[in-house]
Order: sequence, then C-alpha cells, then structure tokens
Amino acid sequence: MRALVIDDSRTMRRIVSSTLQRIGFDTVEAEHGRDALDHLEAGERVDLACIDWNMPVMDGLTFVTEVRANPAWRDVTLMMVTTESEQSQIVRALAAGAHEYLIKPFTADAIRDKLDLLGLVPAEELA
Amino acid sequence: MTTTVAHDQVHAIAQEVFAAMVDGDLGLLLPWEGELPALDDALVAWVDLFGDWSGRAVLVTAEGTAQELTRALMGLHPDEPVERADLEDAFGEIANVVGGNLKALLPNPGTLGLPRIGSDLPPLEGAVRALHLPLSWRGRLFVVDVWVTTAAGSTTEGAS
Repeated sequence: MRALVIDDSRTMRRIVSSTLQRIGFDTVEAEHGRDALDHLEAGERVDLACIDWNMPVMDGLTFVTEVRANPAWRDVTLMMVTTESEQSQIVRALAAGAHEYLIKPFTADAIRDKLDLLGLVPAEELA
Repeated sequence: MTTTVAHDQVHAIAQEVFAAMVDGDLGLLLPWEGELPALDDALVAWVDLFGDWSGRAVLVTAEGTAQELTRALMGLHPDEPVERADLEDAFGEIANVVGGNLKALLPNPGTLGLPRIGSDLPPLEGAVRALHLPLSWRGRLFVVDVWVTTAAGSTTEGAS
C-alpha cells in the first residue's frame, strides 16, 4: 500500500511517514495541499492520504474537497492529522469527505488504531 | 467574553505533547523549581490565535535544548548534528501543537496562525502576557507563555 503524507512541517512528515512505513506502507510526501494535488494529477496512485489542516498555499480542508470532487480519486482514503481538535472542525472535515480524524499530538499506536478501523493495516501486521 | 486558561490546563497540554511526540512518558516535563536561569541563547517559537480570543502561544528554551528536542522528535542519534532548518521546523511544530490544543480550550475558537521561530519575540499589538509557565524538561528550562490581546477580555487562573 502507498500513502501520501501532507504536512508543511518536515518533522511531522518524517514522524508520520516512519510510522506508516513500520506498518508496511510506502510513502510519498507533500508540503501542502497544492503540492499533494500535483502528485495525484501526475498519476501518483495512493491508497491513503494523511492530511494536516493548517498549511500555506492550500490547506487540508481544501485538499479534501478537491479530492472528493474528482471521481478518479474516489478510492483514496483521507485521514486528517491535525491540531484542529474542536468538534465543529471535525464535523467540517468529515462532511467534506475525510474518512478519519487524528488529533496531534498522537502516538504511533493511535495511527495504527485509526488505520485498523479503516481496514488499512496489512493482515500480517494484525497477526 | 471572559475566558479562563489555567496553568494546570496549559501544563497538561505541554505534558501531553511531550509524552506523545518526544518522550513517550508523561512525567518528564515538570514545574521548574527555583530561580530561572538566564537564557543567553534563547530560541522562541510561537503561533498566533485569531478570533473572539486572540493572542499568542509562545515557547522559549535554550538553543541547545531545542536541538535535543529536535533529535528526539526526528529520531536522530544523540551525536548527530542538527541542521538549522530541522531545528526551526521541529521547535515550530511543537509550538503549533501546543497552540492548537490551547485553542481547543476556548469556547469560541477561531483560527491558528502558522508557527514562527526567532531569537526574540516580536511585539503583538495590544497584548499582555497572561500566563508564564516555566517547566523543566530533563532539568533544562522550557517556558510556555500565553499572551492575550486586551480586546479579547481574557483572563488566566494562577493556580497550578
């Protein structure tokens, strides 16, 4: 499986990517929503996108809206990974088409649990 | 609107951030005991909050401490050099997460600015420091300050 990690912080991209790699994902990184859309428009195939909310150029909510507006990307699972923890923001993201929502700070186990809920943890990892 | 942000709440946020991102242990970020040492090589990271409650969440520590935090966050070897860009990004991300969780305490949260880094804190017009929380991370000084704009009408509780 392949994941797109979208965050303007290289530190956070590194943390999320290394966690996903330990679970069995190949990862590709993007610095903001527009950068991530460029990857998808160039034909990058991903199963999962982990998306920060507050980013320059294009924020995570706009990215989610753009992805959901394109049927070619309907199979991409979208998980917000953000400091935005108010209930109203979670509702906005889910209404826009995000499948899951993980609040920073998080642990590696928290990412794994969310992916398990989404059915994205490989069977050998669950064993 | 009057909003209360207590020392205990901010300390709990900082502890949670360090436990999840840095240490894996809630007990390593403690209240600072004794006099505060001067920080000759201070590094400041901050995020601004905008809305009914406007202000700034600020972190201050020595650059050497910020380097240690960066190594911990990025999984670097203790002897591995830390690039300046990584240092600024990692310390800024800690401020971002602290600020985001602080925002979540507010009854009508607004928006969060992007994290900024510097050796000095630039002035925020009309703001006063409403909370000053000196902490000890592995014996090193790590300060969390909260500034509020006077128009926000916000208060803090000093109980800790």
